[in-house]
Amino acid sequence: MTTAVADAHDSHDEHGPAKGIGRWLFSTNHKDIGTMYLVFSLTMFFIGGAMAMVIRSELAIPGLQFVHPEFFNSMTTMHALIMVFGAVMPAFVGLANWMIPLMIGAPDMALPRMNNWSFWILPVAFGILLSTLFMPGGAPASGWTMYPPLVLQTGDAFPFLIFSVHLMGISSIMGAINVIVTIINMRAPEMTLLRMPMFVWTWLITAYLLIAVMPVLAGAVTMLLTDQFFGTSFFLAAGGGDPVMFQHIFWFFGHPEVYIMILPAFGVVSEIIPTFARKKLFGHDSMVYAAASIAFLSFIVWAHHMFTVGMPLTGQMFFMFATMLIAVPTGVKVFNWVATMWRGSMTFETPMLFSLAFVFLFTIGGFSGLMLAIAPADIQYHDTYFVVAHFHYVLVPGSVFAIMAGAYYWLPKWTGHMYNEKLGKLHFWTSTIFVNLTFFPMHFLGLAGMPRRIPDYSTQFTDFNTIASIGAIGFGLSQLLFVGVILSAWKGSKATDRVWEGSHGLEWTVPSPAPYHTWETPPKARVAGEAFD
Amino acid sequence: MADAEQKKNIRRTTMIVVAIAVAFYLGFIMLGVLRS
Repeated sequence: MTTAVADAHDSHDEHGPAKGIGRWLFSTNHKDIGTMYLVFSLTMFFIGGAMAMVIRSELAIPGLQFVHPEFFNSMTTMHALIMVFGAVMPAFVGLANWMIPLMIGAPDMALPRMNNWSFWILPVAFGILLSTLFMPGGAPASGWTMYPPLVLQTGDAFPFLIFSVHLMGISSIMGAINVIVTIINMRAPEMTLLRMPMFVWTWLITAYLLIAVMPVLAGAVTMLLTDQFFGTSFFLAAGGGDPVMFQHIFWFFGHPEVYIMILPAFGVVSEIIPTFARKKLFGHDSMVYAAASIAFLSFIVWAHHMFTVGMPLTGQMFFMFATMLIAVPTGVKVFNWVATMWRGSMTFETPMLFSLAFVFLFTIGGFSGLMLAIAPADIQYHDTYFVVAHFHYVLVPGSVFAIMAGAYYWLPKWTGHMYNEKLGKLHFWTSTIFVNLTFFPMHFLGLAGMPRRIPDYSTQFTDFNTIASIGAIGFGLSQLLFVGVILSAWKGSKATDRVWEGSHGLEWTVPSPAPYHTWETPPKARVAGEAFD
Repeated sequence: MADAEQKKNIRRTTMIVVAIAVAFYLGFIMLGVLRS
């Protein structure tokens, strides 16, 4: 063993994982930790999804049906926090843990003990957050943006919210440190930076985003805490503070956060499309530069979330045009995916279907983002269901579909068995139909003026709301098929090492399932070179 | 790459990224202090 992980893995060479619960509690193995992240993420996906069911059931028809308005607000807040920090981000960290060492020829993550910590902090953080549902005053209900002074009216849950957000931030930062340090220091000898797979590249860029912005969120919520309990007035107008400053700080974190949730999705799709088109990725280097450009631009567009707050005309112009500029590198990516498929020998297995849907539906989310970027138009769209439609198109058929695509793509490598393709395709088609049924009508609702974050609405919004609710319940039920697919992978036919005919890269040169320890000796240069190309 | 050298590199990269994270955390709190 040639790396710093030797300390944590001494004498493990000859045997597999530890037995019992200890394997999972104390594991420093990147595959075990990756699995735990993915299982945790799926659990949170269902908990956050159950909250979405509450929201959509309440909104299925006008009037108050099932829940108190305050509880409805708690549901929107908790749904967002759980889906962003508990489902999407941990899913990508899980994929990173599993695949980055395999893809770059490293025996494990560079800091395996910290890897264990960064995972185990998460269940604690979300245990604390979910416990607020049972507290006097209820769970946080101010929206995931936690704007003061509203958030300061939260009941007993407030300090628990702040503490859990801090823990989520610490976990993400530790995960990001591990990704950066691993990629920078533990690549196989011939794996130069520009030969790295796109998934690794997008994760490296994402990790830098995380390092820069998660501490900003932590700083913002620390200041909320001191405003509430220690007599400061960072955001309290009565004490000379500025509530709008919170919005600036929050969105300095919040906008790059959007790219934290989508850049690894770009990476996953960039791995899958070449495999099933049986061609090399078109414009690999331009994809890298495009991802880096998107990451840079994500730091200078935050105030497009705040056009209605009021800002100088020059500020509006700057943030509007900077936001529109993001369409350029994003367009490069979409063009490159299409060009990769162009005249390829394509087949449409489930990972490819999810990836194709990603390209098409994420682009719809991107276009509605461009519409929202137009400052004068945003005055009309702001805080309406158009915004809800926009970010759900980016995050559900965007990020979540990419996670699903990645899970289907790598599942045979993880388990050693093929999943049930018929069930996978059924999962894809039901998800795709219902996701559009849920979120597309929201565009019309928003343009007609229906505000977001309300438990009741005027009767003219009824039809589209009913359609969206039917779609949401269908989408939620469809996800149970995914659990069936995972279970089917335990009984499926044996997977080959390469799994897919068109697969390429180091991860497909190890056996299926991937052994507990891989690349204890870095891959040989010649073999590695062939695999890279 | 020798073990010792790789360990040193890992430690150095870790320190740099931790420093960046701490700088952003404290920097934005300082911004808040100066603005309020």
